[in-house]
Amino acid sequence: MYHKLYKLTAILNINGISKTYGKVKALNNLSLQINQGEVFGILGPNGSGKTTTLGIILDVIKANSGTFTWFGEEPKKESRQKIGSLLETPNFYPYLNARQNLSIACKIKNVDDSDIDRVLDIVNLLTRADSKFKTYSLGMKQRLALGAALLGNPDVLLLDEPTNGLDPQGIAEVRTIIKNLAAEGKTIIMASHILDEVEKVCTHVAVLKLGNLLTTGPIETVLSKQEQVYVVADDLNLLKVTLGQIDGVSNIKASTSKIYLMLENGKDSAYLNKALFDKGITLSELGVQKPDLEANFLEIIN
Amino acid sequence: MLTLLQIELKKILPYKTFWVIFGLVFLLIPGVFFALGQVNPMGGKDMFSFPNVWNNLTYLASWFNLLIGMTFVILVCNEFSFKTFRQHVIDGQSKSDFIVAKILLMVVLATASMLYIFIVGALFGLVNTDNSAGLTEGIMYVGVYFIQALGYMSVALIIATLIRSTALSIIIFMLSILIESIVQVIIGIFSTAGIENYFPMEIIANLTPNPIMEAITVNQQAMQAGMQQPGMPPPAPIAEAIPLSTNVYIAVAYIIAIWGITYFILTKKDIK
Repeated sequence: MYHKLYKLTAILNINGISKTYGKVKALNNLSLQINQGEVFGILGPNGSGKTTTLGIILDVIKANSGTFTWFGEEPKKESRQKIGSLLETPNFYPYLNARQNLSIACKIKNVDDSDIDRVLDIVNLLTRADSKFKTYSLGMKQRLALGAALLGNPDVLLLDEPTNGLDPQGIAEVRTIIKNLAAEGKTIIMASHILDEVEKVCTHVAVLKLGNLLTTGPIETVLSKQEQVYVVADDLNLLKVTLGQIDGVSNIKASTSKIYLMLENGKDSAYLNKALFDKGITLSELGVQKPDLEANFLEIIN
Repeated sequence: MLTLLQIELKKILPYKTFWVIFGLVFLLIPGVFFALGQVNPMGGKDMFSFPNVWNNLTYLASWFNLLIGMTFVILVCNEFSFKTFRQHVIDGQSKSDFIVAKILLMVVLATASMLYIFIVGALFGLVNTDNSAGLTEGIMYVGVYFIQALGYMSVALIIATLIRSTALSIIIFMLSILIESIVQVIIGIFSTAGIENYFPMEIIANLTPNPIMEAITVNQQAMQAGMQQPGMPPPAPIAEAIPLSTNVYIAVAYIIAIWGITYFILTKKDIK
């Protein structure tokens, strides 16, 4: 109950936003609240409305209806200057080098040019700072865009597919950067279609599909991270009924050969085995499975 | 405002394409002007001396103004094709910042061109003027040239904002004069009100009147006035009848209207 004593500070409030492109409904009455310090993942397959959502809250796309506020205020350009954003592809002048490109972003965001080397160092581009943007590889472009988002050390970051186009090492680096920023207490809003990515860095998640919000909340409640236990006995039906009578057992699901269940905290498989034995059931098999997030996610979106 | 201009300069000062085009324009204007003077049957001296030099030079330079307009198409289209306009809004600019920045940029470019034309004209005039005409005589053509540069760049701005693709925008910008002429002819057939003489590209082009036509018109009017008999109606005005001052007012009105419409277009569209 401790967290309820806290008054959560809303960074972003989205109220019933809808957007249509011609006949296609890209977003349907979306409402979300993102609070200070959260690492908020917007998860969904391609075409689910993630980028449209981010585009609307950054004022590059006009919503057909609905409103949103940043820091409790009506959207204005000054609030965007306080947000570090990376939306879709990295957008820079190909004929300018990294420093010249970031210097333009600095002017817009009212940040001193002296911050440029700091962010270039974070994203590992200092050695290539004077090369033209057009000579960069896809991964370097993406890292420069992340660097631009970090200019002025903003308290809120908005990242759309931040690991797009990066090699495995680059992905790991970017995730470390994001985790470090989260540890500093920054609010991070991140869109991704990669479940693994969201699971690894986010504290909260919203799942979108075809413009509809399917579910939202803390990540451990939305994508159950609890371990799953499976049991097998000669009579599966009897086993299933008996399981229902045991304390601390939940989410009982039967497949053709096994029964899956979850145990509440503090109860382990030995406890389950003993309880079933006391009720006269001998298990032929008992095992613990790592949580299957993929299955969990697919269950939500289907 | 100053910050917006600084940002624009950060974009174009290191941009080679921009310098190559402007360098060519600045080299070719005096070069072509000098060459034309050599083949002119009236002789270069007459063409280069005050006050004629101002009308002659700005008329020649007006053709290069089209090139400056095209450069402006490239500069604006870049913001769409590099998606940097979108990025600027994301980073915290407004759509009106974009328009204001582009207007500031065109004012700077038009001022630079005007100063250059002034220097070139002054040099040609000072070397070639034997009579008593002073440097300032007819210098208003240089100011009008500035408005023409703004006019072409404003048309470039709206075309680039509407079309967004560089190649297509340049083609449409070039063809806009031709397209306008066709519309003018069609309207001229059905209407006798003469509104076809007030179309934007023509108004902007006429800011720097063709000096030869000017001379013919003036001569003809003088002749007609001389031949006029008492009791007869005054002669009908002939081609290029809109006085330059009226032309300037209409051009300025067009320019301001184009800026407003461009802003309206930008605010209505999503930024892709």
